Amino acid sequence: MSVILENVSFSYSRKTPLETPALKEINLRIKKGEFVGILGEKGAGKSTLLKLFNGLLIPDTGTVRVDSLNPSSKEARHRVGMVFQQPADQLFCRTIYDEIAFGPLNFGYSRKETKERVLEALEAVSLDQSMLYKNPFRLSGGEMQRVALASALALRPDYLILDEPITGLDPVGKREILETLKKVNNMGTAVIAVTHNLKGFFPLLQKIVLMKEGKIAFQGSREDYLKTGCDSLPPIASIMRELKAKGLPVNPAVFTVEDALEEILRVKSIIESDREKYIRQW
Amino acid sequence: MIRLEKVSYSYPDGTPALEDINLAIREGEFVAIIGKNGSGKSTLALHLNGLLKPQKGKVIMKGMDTHDSFKLPDIRRVVGIVFQNPETQFVGRTVEEDLAFGLENLCLPPAEIRRRVDTILAETGLGKYRYRSPKTLSGGQRQYMALAGVLVMEPECLVFDEVTSMLDPNSGATILERIRKLQGEGKTIVYVTHNLEELYAVDRIIVMEKGKIMLEGSPKSVFSDPLLQKLGLSLPSLLELATRLKTCGVTVPWEKIASPHSFAEEICRLFLKT
Repeated sequence: MSVILENVSFSYSRKTPLETPALKEINLRIKKGEFVGILGEKGAGKSTLLKLFNGLLIPDTGTVRVDSLNPSSKEARHRVGMVFQQPADQLFCRTIYDEIAFGPLNFGYSRKETKERVLEALEAVSLDQSMLYKNPFRLSGGEMQRVALASALALRPDYLILDEPITGLDPVGKREILETLKKVNNMGTAVIAVTHNLKGFFPLLQKIVLMKEGKIAFQGSREDYLKTGCDSLPPIASIMRELKAKGLPVNPAVFTVEDALEEILRVKSIIESDREKYIRQW
Repeated sequence: MIRLEKVSYSYPDGTPALEDINLAIREGEFVAIIGKNGSGKSTLALHLNGLLKPQKGKVIMKGMDTHDSFKLPDIRRVVGIVFQNPETQFVGRTVEEDLAFGLENLCLPPAEIRRRVDTILAETGLGKYRYRSPKTLSGGQRQYMALAGVLVMEPECLVFDEVTSMLDPNSGATILERIRKLQGEGKTIVYVTHNLEELYAVDRIIVMEKGKIMLEGSPKSVFSDPLLQKLGLSLPSLLELATRLKTCGVTVPWEKIASPHSFAEEICRLFLKT
């Protein structure tokens, strides 16, 4: 059970003078249940990559398979839920209920089953039932993001794809969305998120894919990512890497304040036992 | 430069967005506005060039009242806003045309328009996209373009509403550096953000909650105020680490907290000084 991309390339405005290559020779496999972060600079092809997962874009060359299915097929679309960068882009119904029910009804679920799914999705994103008949366009950014997430969850997808899901949210809103994603992931859904917010996402990620100019520059575990020369790091990890570079015996794979505190104090006591050696190195 | 006097504003559905705001921003000052979603930050930003007008009180920009419709073109020449969603401000068919749009409206001579557009394209690295439609750019590139569209107008005061939120950390840092440089050139900066990590070097932070100013002061005083965390705003992680280290007897001074680099240098200095 996985999403597999093999030798995928994609260009926008293909065969026109404005042809812009966006992805080149991408090979990637994401298993069900993984929590994957897609990182990279602007224009690196992150959002384009996401759109290949559910057949919104079709690759020029290479193949994309969702559990061996064509991503454009109805069956595959049922398995892949997507939340866009701007939640307002994907909301269009008059009430939150209609919004979340849209997917299940479209896939032919009965009204009863749909209602169950709506309530379940609503609970998953910690929205109150009293909100159900409100207009989604009157909500705050964080609430709108949660409604968009709930409408993807109502199909109980195996793969949940998100483009910058916590951008523009305040710290409380960010925490809420991250907790929801963690919960959804714990229940077995793969979460694949494009993000710039390393501070919030880093503790959750099992796998990191770093994009650079349309290619995958790195893919692997969080620990390996912290050890490689990648320059996009959470602030705490940056300090640890600098300390390591200066010859201090720290573990560079640390990214939370708690762990960094422990690590720095541990290093302090090591240095105190053999100051001369480290002063020479410094 | 900017003065808000007892400004109140409610949205058409009756939701109060700003209540009795008094604020003065000096020429050349770098002011950051933070607060939760729905605290009124963006509404405040939209008042600064008269896109919204206060229902009570007034907003005075360089001596011009935003209630005075005849003054609005002049006010908007002085204040440029970069919005949260860059798409909302694109009008041109190509990147180049879009950047020239505002300048054409100012009736500048074509040669001057060409010079300014070329300069900004080179500076922001958008030159290679000059003939592309803004719609074909990625989210982060659009954000850069929105910024370029305002910079090209060379306003005296720039208002940024969450401009780095869609950018990767490196591009975000580049934009922030550019904004600091603008301040160095004497521009007034109003910077709305959620990312407290960016705010060590601003002149003043204003914390908003439910349409009111709850806290105001230098980054040092705002970050050390317990009210900040009560309002649901978490401390920048480097500051949090420094605070925790201090309780364990390792003191990293405030001016070294601003970047991971200076922080690490200071730790080495503290541990290895003879």
